[in-house]
Amino acid sequence: MPPAQRLSDDQIARRVARELSPGQVVALGFGLPGLVPGVLPERTGVFCLSESGALGYVNAGQTVKLRPGGTPLGLAEAVAMLRGGRVDCAVVQPAQVNAAGDFSHWTTAATTGVFAPGAGLDLAAGPKRVIAMLRHTAEDGSPNIVPELTFPVDGINALHLIITDIAVLSVIPRGLELMEVAPGWRADDVSALTGVPLRRNPDMGEMTFDMEPSRFPSKVFSEARDALHDLSDGATVMIDGFAGPGGMPHCLLVALRDHGARDLTMISNTAGIARITNFGTPPGKLAIDHSILIDSKQIKKAIASYPVSPSASRPSAFELAYRRGEVELELVPQGTLAERLRAGGAGVAAFYTPTGAGTLIAQGKETRVFNGKEYVLEKGLRADFCLIRGHKADTMGNVIYKGTSRNFNSVMAPAARVTVVEVDEVVEPGMLDSEQIVTPGVYISRIVVRPPGFSPYE
Amino acid sequence: MAEQKARLDRDVIAMRVAKELPDGGYVNLGIGIPTLVSGFVTEGSMVFFHSESGVLNCGPLAEEGHEDIDLINAGGQFLQPVPGMAFFNSAEGFAMIRGGHVDVTVLGAHQVSAKGDLANWMLPDRGVGNIGGAMDLAAGAKAVIVAMEHTDRENQPKIVQECTYPITGHGCVTLVITDLAVIRCTAQGLVLEEVAPGWTVAEVQALTGAKLAVSAQVKEYQL
Repeated sequence: MPPAQRLSDDQIARRVARELSPGQVVALGFGLPGLVPGVLPERTGVFCLSESGALGYVNAGQTVKLRPGGTPLGLAEAVAMLRGGRVDCAVVQPAQVNAAGDFSHWTTAATTGVFAPGAGLDLAAGPKRVIAMLRHTAEDGSPNIVPELTFPVDGINALHLIITDIAVLSVIPRGLELMEVAPGWRADDVSALTGVPLRRNPDMGEMTFDMEPSRFPSKVFSEARDALHDLSDGATVMIDGFAGPGGMPHCLLVALRDHGARDLTMISNTAGIARITNFGTPPGKLAIDHSILIDSKQIKKAIASYPVSPSASRPSAFELAYRRGEVELELVPQGTLAERLRAGGAGVAAFYTPTGAGTLIAQGKETRVFNGKEYVLEKGLRADFCLIRGHKADTMGNVIYKGTSRNFNSVMAPAARVTVVEVDEVVEPGMLDSEQIVTPGVYISRIVVRPPGFSPYE
Repeated sequence: MAEQKARLDRDVIAMRVAKELPDGGYVNLGIGIPTLVSGFVTEGSMVFFHSESGVLNCGPLAEEGHEDIDLINAGGQFLQPVPGMAFFNSAEGFAMIRGGHVDVTVLGAHQVSAKGDLANWMLPDRGVGNIGGAMDLAAGAKAVIVAMEHTDRENQPKIVQECTYPITGHGCVTLVITDLAVIRCTAQGLVLEEVAPGWTVAEVQALTGAKLAVSAQVKEYQL
């Protein structure tokens, strides 16, 4: 008996879409995965990342159209999102897959026979889950699921799920398990077109294609303290604030003081000097800065580039606490700090920098000579929480900044498990110009609006 | 006694430094005397200032009453908005520095050695210091000009044979401009090129902790 009709590309895309949940970021490779954004319902809360450089888009023919709140990205930034663990799921169209979940990318051999990995390798290495989306057989009828890959390998043990025009297969330690069959197909029909043996899942069912319309859970918190509710003692917290009041998340600083978490490691450019320099501080007032967390004895260690007052005769709260032995300090050159944050957020473990070679900063660190010049190995930095200050955000978490106040904010944002942004205003998706967005929403977990009239001085 | 003789003031040092800035060059100014340099850029020449606070092509300090907390220089001082400013984050600001895109940085110093080593981030007595952007600038800028007083508060030389304070960068200083002299750092050592008005080569050498070779063209401080 001839098997039933195979699924259309659109139906395969709909079945893939059922694997995606609100709030997830999904990276889509070339080919069939490009159909997925088009089948997602509006306001589904799934963020599509194109490796060509767009976050939050739908396909429009050969080009993409940004959805409201979408962000164009540089290729390096898109790949940094992949490696930095920001991508929940990747969908690729391999030319071949095997029972171990290895795959060859469709661009490698199908067209030219030349090894052209594109971002396929990053798609395979970074995301938490990788789904293969492909036709079950090649044009000549031979299986695309094969015992041995004959095309160059793009990902080893990379795949978790395989969705084809006749079946859904799960990659398990012992091989492939048949989870679902297309309507009208039997397990034996699928096995006959598959180059490796299939285990049949006891709960095997029929493929379905509808996606529940779901509303994306809001990132906006009405109270700063609620946005920090799960920050625990001993956490590592990044907090911006370059020097003065600009770019400093004052509400979140106060909320963290009120929260009371202790033994914190604080990563910041300064450890609180706005109180000393007092640029812009009205007479009789004190600037709110990192010092308030020193005063409340919440900080165990600071990682900073400019930790103390520019003037030895006017020591900051941090310097006094440091002299009393109450806080530790890891001093980092400012550019090294910025790059350690960038690396941490981009999934790069370490890098070599010429900065600090032959100085105290290089002590105990690995060094290496490149082209006759000495470089120091510095490690990427990550944190549990990151508290930053933006100007405006949309509800998807896309952020824009004002003037110089983006300096460390936008570098820190990708480098923490939970990044909370304090903004002047939250707007609907589409109200921020996609071309102007500095921090794409994938990096922002929570948004707090600074109350009107809030004073950064106390 | 040499100490009684008048030395040049900070503005004059800054004025002399400004003459070294290349037309069309990208320049980063440190805190202190270096900050003053932007006020003395030669008429008719164009210098683009970079600040690691996250702005390129920045302008002069803001006037009182017109401060914007979101527009600052690396020292946290407020800047005037000027046409052509470009904002960027700190990773990019330092990529510009380490990537060799900054032609000149002007920094203050505690000590400069005969080999052009720079020490400017910590006085050992304090036991803690700020590095800020200094190490990146020392490592990455194409030229490092030090602008400082020739001696410290105890009238001890700040130009020394070997730095005794913690180093910011090795062999990075290209030119030292002080309130007494202009000294070039070369592979052969320090070369005295200019001397402040009223001072002799011998008097400058006496207040310098390293041997100065005297340039064949040594002349009075050029403004």
